[in-house]
Amino acid sequence: MANRQAFLFGYSKRSTFITKELRKNGFDIIIIVSDTQSFEKAKEHGYLDVIKIDMTDDNALENLQVTEDDYLVCVMEDSHFNVFLTLSLRSLFPISKIIALSDSFHVTQKLKMAGASKVIDLYQVSANRIYNILNKPIATKLIGNLLSPEENLSIREIDIPEDSLLDNIMVDDFDFSQHGVILVGMIDRRLSNQFLFVTSGLEHRLDRGDMMVCIGYNDDLDRFEKYVKTTY
Amino acid sequence: MFIKYILKIAFFLHRSKRYKDTKKLFYNFLQNPDFIYKRYFDSFMIFLILISVVILVYEVKNPVPIWVDDFDVYAVTAIFSLEYILRFWVYNDLHTEIVKEYEEAKFLKKSFKPWLPFKRTIKGKLAYMLSPSAIVDLLAILPAYRPLRVLRIFVLFRVFKLLRYTKSIHQFVEVLATKRFELMTLLFLLVFIVSTAGIAIYVFEERTNPNINSLFDAMYWALITISSVGYGDISPITSAGRVVSMIIIISGIAMISFVTSIIVSAFSEKLSELKENRIVERINKNKDFIIICGYGQMTRMFLKNNSLLSYEYVIIEEDTKRVEIGIKEGYNIINEDASRHDVIAKFNIDYSNITLLALTGSDVNNIYITLNAKALSKNIKVIARASDEKMEKKFKLAGVDHVVLPSMVANRMLLFAITQPAMYRAIYSMLTGQNLSQLDEISTITHYKLVGKKIEEIDFKRHKLLFIGFQCGRKEEFVFNPPKKIDIRVGDILLVMGHKVSIEYFKQQYGEIFYG
Repeated sequence: MANRQAFLFGYSKRSTFITKELRKNGFDIIIIVSDTQSFEKAKEHGYLDVIKIDMTDDNALENLQVTEDDYLVCVMEDSHFNVFLTLSLRSLFPISKIIALSDSFHVTQKLKMAGASKVIDLYQVSANRIYNILNKPIATKLIGNLLSPEENLSIREIDIPEDSLLDNIMVDDFDFSQHGVILVGMIDRRLSNQFLFVTSGLEHRLDRGDMMVCIGYNDDLDRFEKYVKTTY
Repeated sequence: MFIKYILKIAFFLHRSKRYKDTKKLFYNFLQNPDFIYKRYFDSFMIFLILISVVILVYEVKNPVPIWVDDFDVYAVTAIFSLEYILRFWVYNDLHTEIVKEYEEAKFLKKSFKPWLPFKRTIKGKLAYMLSPSAIVDLLAILPAYRPLRVLRIFVLFRVFKLLRYTKSIHQFVEVLATKRFELMTLLFLLVFIVSTAGIAIYVFEERTNPNINSLFDAMYWALITISSVGYGDISPITSAGRVVSMIIIISGIAMISFVTSIIVSAFSEKLSELKENRIVERINKNKDFIIICGYGQMTRMFLKNNSLLSYEYVIIEEDTKRVEIGIKEGYNIINEDASRHDVIAKFNIDYSNITLLALTGSDVNNIYITLNAKALSKNIKVIARASDEKMEKKFKLAGVDHVVLPSMVANRMLLFAITQPAMYRAIYSMLTGQNLSQLDEISTITHYKLVGKKIEEIDFKRHKLLFIGFQCGRKEEFVFNPPKKIDIRVGDILLVMGHKVSIEYFKQQYGEIFYG
C-alpha cells in the first residue's frame, strides 16, 4: 500500500512536532512555504520535499498535484493568511481533507466557514485540559496515558478482516473484558461511515470491514488484534 | 523559687499544643479577617448591638419587661465583657516573652530578669487598652452599671462597635483617612472662621441683642450659620452683625463645597481599589477557589467553555486595558501583578483550597508566579501554561503541579486527526464532553449506594455506560478494567464513559448527596 501523503502549509516552531510525528507515522510529507527562511530551516531539519511558492497564487497551489486522499494541513503562523489559504485550498480541492490549526475562537469560526474539515483550536483544547485536570483528574490522567506513546495503556484502531472470528457477532454478545480490552466505539460500515460509541444505545453487529476502537494494555491489545485477525 | 515557678508555667504554656490551639481559635474569631467562620461571630455581635440599641430607644417611651432589661444589662454586657477580656488576652503572650528572655539570658550567660518580659507585655496590653477600638469596647460595657442611669447613653458606644464588625463603615473611615491632611486643614479653617465670626458678633451685639448673652451663644450662632442650617433662634440685629453674617454664609458655602469635593475625590480615587478588595473578600469566603493569572485567549476560552464551573474564581491581570475588557465582559478581575508577594498573600491561603492557574503568555512570568505562590504555601495547587516542551522541566522544578503545553496538546490532537481519525473523534469527545460520549468520575463518597457492591452487580449496560476502571481510594492507584468480583469501597472513584444524560441518571440512581 502506498504511503499516505500530507501537505503541510507553513513551517515554524509550531509545526515541527507535527511534521516529525507524521513522518514517524509513515506519511510522506511535502512542506509548502512562502519564505526563504522557512525553506532553509525545513531543509536543515532534513526534509527533502520542501517547495517554496507564493501561496496566494492559485495556479501555484493547483500545480501541487494534490489527490483526494491527501491531507492538507494549514499551520501558518499568520491566522489571517491561514484562513485565506484554507479558503483557496477548499475552492481548488473540494473533497480533500483540510485540517487547520487555530489560536482563537474567532479564527476557528472563520476557518470552519472557509471550509476546513477539522479545526484544532490551540487554546480551546488546553482550556479543556485545565478544566478536566480540575474536575476529572483521573479521566484526564487516563487520556494523557492513552495519548502518550511512552505509556503502556493505549487506544487502538482494530479492523475486522474477512472471515474474522468477530465477523457477524453482536457487540453485546462478545465479552471484550475477557481479552483485557474495552471497546469504546466503532465505525459500522453497514450503518454509516461515522464513528459510533458503544454507549449510544444502538445494537451493533460486528462485520468484516468494520473498525473498532479499543482501550487496553499494549500486550492485551496485541493479543486481541491477533485474535480478531484469526479466521475461521 | 517564685521565678522558678513562673518559668515552669511559661514553659508549660509554651509547649502546650492545646493552649496554643485554643488561643489561636479565639484569635481567629476575634482578629483574623481571613478566618471563614469569623463572619458568623461578627454577625452575632452585630445582632447583639442592634438589640441593645432597639431596647434603648423602645424604653424611652415604653416600659420594657424585666427579663428584656436583664438580658440587655447582664447577658449582652457579659458577652461584651468576655469579648473585651479575650481580645486583651490574645493581643500578646506573656509566656512567649518570658521564654524568649530566659533563652536569651541562657545563651548570653547573663542573669535572667523576669520583670523585663512583664514590662514588655504590660506595655503591649496598655497599648491595646488605649487603642480607639478598645476604648469603644470598654465604654460599650458601661451601660450595665445601674446606679448611674445616665450611663445608659453609653449604649451608643455599642453602635461604634459596629465599626469592628462591618467592613463598609470601616472602609468609609479608611477612605476619609486618606484625605486626613485636607480635612484637617479645612477643620482648622472652620475653627478660625467660627471663632473670628463668634468674637466679632459678640463684640458688636452683646449689649444690643437680647439673644446673645455669652461668648458661647455667639460661637453657637456662628457655627449654625456657617453650616447653612440657620435655626433662627439667634440672628444679628445690627448692620455690623449682618455684614459678619454675610461673610460667614459665603465662607460656609465655600467650605461645604470643599468638603464635598474632598470626600468625592477620595472615593473616586479609591473606588477601583474598594471594588477589588470586595472581590478578594468575597472569594476568600469560599473553601475552594481558583486564581487565574493573566487575561488572554486561554483564560477567556477556559471561562467561556466552563461557565458551569463549580468553583469561584478571580482573575489577576497586570495590563489595565485587558482589565477594562475583562470587566466589560463581566468577569471578576483585578488589576494587580500576580508575581508580587503581597497580591497573592491577600487571599485566604491558610483556610482555603486554592488552585492557581498561571496562564500569562510569558514562561518567565508563569514561573515567577508559581514560585511566588509556592513560597507562600505549598498547598496552593498550580497549573501553569508553558510555551514549549523544553520548559516543562523548569516548571516542574518551580513546583508546578500540572504543566499545560497548548502547542503540544493541539499538535497531538492534530496528529490524531490525521493519523487515526476515528480515534480522534473518541478522544475529542472524551476530552471535551461536547459530543455523544464523555468520561466522568463517580465518587463513592457522594454516591454511597455503590459502596459494598461488586462490579458485576452494577448494571452499567442498562444505564448505557461503559465502565473503564476505578481509582482505589486508599492507594490512589488506578485499576483499569478490573475483575468483576471486586468490591467497591468507600473512597473509591469509578471512571465511566457514556452520554451526559446516562451519567446523570446513573448518579441519581446511586444516591447523589451533597455535602456543605
